[in-house]
Amino acid sequence: MISPVLSSETNRSLHWLIFSQWAGKRDVIFYYEGYFSQTIIAAVADAVKMRIEHVGAASKTQRKLFSSFIEMTQNIIHYSVDAYTRDDSAVFGNEVRHGSVYISTEQGRYHLHCANPVHVDVAAQLRAKLEHLRTLTGDDIKREYKQCLRADTDEDSKGAGLGLLTVARDASEPLEFDFIAIPNSDNALFYLKATI
Amino acid sequence: MQANQMNDLYIAAKPSSPEIDFRFQDRLLSITGEAYPENAAVFWGEIIGTVRRFLSLDDSRRPITVNVALSYFNSSSTKMLFSLFDALNEKAAQGTAVILNWYHDEDDDTIYEFGQELCEDFTSLSFNDHATQS
Repeated sequence: MISPVLSSETNRSLHWLIFSQWAGKRDVIFYYEGYFSQTIIAAVADAVKMRIEHVGAASKTQRKLFSSFIEMTQNIIHYSVDAYTRDDSAVFGNEVRHGSVYISTEQGRYHLHCANPVHVDVAAQLRAKLEHLRTLTGDDIKREYKQCLRADTDEDSKGAGLGLLTVARDASEPLEFDFIAIPNSDNALFYLKATI
Repeated sequence: MQANQMNDLYIAAKPSSPEIDFRFQDRLLSITGEAYPENAAVFWGEIIGTVRRFLSLDDSRRPITVNVALSYFNSSSTKMLFSLFDALNEKAAQGTAVILNWYHDEDDDTIYEFGQELCEDFTSLSFNDHATQS
């Protein structure tokens, strides 16, 4: 995976490092790094839709890619640090976060990669959920999805538990992830990869 | 206020939220488009609140028809939708017919399967699956 020894002045360099390690021989069909807001996600989602269609992915694959893309990027908005809140924002209005997302393809499979800084406490929660997901079979995931759907909304009112289950359900392989400590901070860069 | 005094609810579709066309007087509630609003709890919460208000005021016992044609909804909307149909199911269980027409692309397993979940859990609803050709 990514060497945790690599140090970097800013999150930005880490995003590029991750991207360049993967881009190599693979066909990158989409890349965005920067601030994520709901408006940006909607606009990028549109571009992603067109790009996926253009490269000829089957409609079922297109749907899964789009769904995973939305789940992963909305998690950036909801769980990242370095938020920038505009003065005119309402309670949850105009949440803006920094992260990166890209889509690569290799031998008919699509890989969706996402990275964003999170607080170490959030990282610990995510790690626990993701490690648990890796122990499940496809049927287990479907079962947990149905249970989670019917469960009372937990402290996580934005639904990230169901979000990760949604991505895991549509993926053709277990989700891959990594947490890279960001020096001189209480944060870690959370990297997630889904294969469809 | 009485149910027949409730104003219809109309919210135009936006890039990430669906059209909400609730005609309470005609007893026809329609949801169309894609749903991935920034804050699903806020977006759907107000809508569900309005529906609950209508259902609690309504004592006519005349059938209610719900047409849902959502081509995509994110995970947080999924939870809220479940809650919306729960409210409608409760009403149906009390003796008012609630017909749910569930529209989806014929090759969209995700939306189809969610409809089946609704059908299984909310047994008082009259559920109709409609697979449309793409």
